[in-house]
Amino acid sequence: MSGDLLRVLLLGLQLGFVAVLYLILFGFARSLLRDLRSAEAQQLASRVGIGRLSVLESPDDEPPAGTTIALGPINSLGRNVNNTIYVEDDFASANHAMLTFRGRSWFIEDQGSTNGTYVNGHRIDRPVALSFGDELMIGRVRMRLER
Amino acid sequence: MRLTLAWRWTELRMLLPLLLLVPLGFVVTHVAEAGVLEPGPLTLAFGYVALMLVAHAILVLSGHRGDQLLLPLVGTIGGAGLVILNRLAPDVEPTQAFGLQLDVAATQLAWFAVGLVAMLAVAIGLRDDGLLRHYKYTWAAVGIGLLVLTAFLGYEVNGARLWLDLGPIAIQPGEFIKIILVVFIAGYLADNRALLTGASLRIGPIRVPPLPYLLPMLALFGLVMLIAVRQNDLGQALLLFGIFLTMLFVATGRRSYVLIGLLLFVAGSFAAYKLFPHVAARVDIWIDPFADPTNKGFQPVRGLFALARGGLFGEGLGQGLPQSIPYVHTDFIFAAVAEELGLVGAFALLALFLAFVFRGLRIAMLARDEFSALLAVGLTASLALQTLIIVAGNLKLVPLTGITLPFVSYGGSSVLASFVMVGLLLNVSHRTARAVDREQGLKDR
Repeated sequence: MSGDLLRVLLLGLQLGFVAVLYLILFGFARSLLRDLRSAEAQQLASRVGIGRLSVLESPDDEPPAGTTIALGPINSLGRNVNNTIYVEDDFASANHAMLTFRGRSWFIEDQGSTNGTYVNGHRIDRPVALSFGDELMIGRVRMRLER
Repeated sequence: MRLTLAWRWTELRMLLPLLLLVPLGFVVTHVAEAGVLEPGPLTLAFGYVALMLVAHAILVLSGHRGDQLLLPLVGTIGGAGLVILNRLAPDVEPTQAFGLQLDVAATQLAWFAVGLVAMLAVAIGLRDDGLLRHYKYTWAAVGIGLLVLTAFLGYEVNGARLWLDLGPIAIQPGEFIKIILVVFIAGYLADNRALLTGASLRIGPIRVPPLPYLLPMLALFGLVMLIAVRQNDLGQALLLFGIFLTMLFVATGRRSYVLIGLLLFVAGSFAAYKLFPHVAARVDIWIDPFADPTNKGFQPVRGLFALARGGLFGEGLGQGLPQSIPYVHTDFIFAAVAEELGLVGAFALLALFLAFVFRGLRIAMLARDEFSALLAVGLTASLALQTLIIVAGNLKLVPLTGITLPFVSYGGSSVLASFVMVGLLLNVSHRTARAVDREQGLKDR
């Protein structure tokens, strides 16, 4: 008799274990689903455009350090105020560089600047394909290409 | 140092049910084995949950902003694994280290502690990806060094040369080579992605990557086949190559690269089958384990019997016969889960892995730079493929290879490596969250 009781209790405990496992799983599923919905909303709000430039360092604060600039397909950078991205820095040339999106990649090309354009610390002498995460240096302004 | 608290309520809420799950699993096992209604020793169970909660507390104290579901997911998978190991402990030879004799569950718990420390160190300690990204060739050299060391100084266990003796403990460098490979490929592809997607050689109708990129791919393929043959470690070879192809596809979006890789792998496997008797033996056992059920096919046959006994709802913890399978606590732990918890329990475990993979890919999608995204994809693919290969091996869907089920199988190197990978994923998501915070802060100003 007590053997039967034990077996019933054991079965109950065993089912309890599996039930707890499924409750936890259910909790995860709910969190994932909620997160998915909010991520979708976020994406709609923020992910427009093909890339951004995050300004890491800017001694004269134009563009301000810490800001992010949304990019169009063709961007000119330099000290001339008519550039798409105006770089106020003593070491930048008036028409310093072009940052363009062609096909499926970003390219940077120096426009004959005095002090050169640097990608990840190397001075470039021809148009260079960029990946997201690469660092650009125009004069003393350091920027990173991001998605 | 200024303490910056960041509450992680979701993480805590999802960790707390472990306080019920793990001890309950221990109680069921004890009641079934002893035949009396008493809780039995629960130190390990509560010790495990305490470890997870301490890890959570340290993340909170350090102001970590990383993903909040990773730790609870890993905690639940590992908790279920500890319950199964505790159930298998009486039937598996205990380990001895530092003059102590510990059963497999206790040893595993010790490794969980080591793994969590490593995870926290990586998740909190890495300030940016510079250490990983800029020293990628150094890491590659370290990986190849480990590989060579293992190939020549390692010792064999059960026909595979995987172990490196380090005094009181032995490690399996293969587990760490996996992580190094992911770091290296992520760095390499992040730097060369634009060129990889651009030009291509055309041979007839198929497009082939340009030569400077085709060569590393072939070199890696050669290395992988060397591991398979020299160390008789087919699982590891399949895993490394799978990681590489996944990352290459994610970085370039070119199906042809994957196709070429798969063709290479199939051709290489076929050649290995024809040339090397131990590879052929594995495949023959897989095709028909019942041809030699008492000798060569013993392990897979026992595994299949265990799955059959388990059925839909399982035999119940401590009530099945998983100990009848050789190496049940490492290679065949999934069969043990399926026997004692049934299809229902095994399915729950796989769903937890699925949720983990989902989370990992989400971290990759949100990452701000190419390297971090590829790193997250590679780590996730590694854990996913590892699970897939060993579970499919247990189910006789693919030839069985001796790799571990992450967080579940017994094994120090595996647990440690898996936790380092979780740490890296946490680190990537932390840096993403910080970047978003900075932008939000500037917008509000």
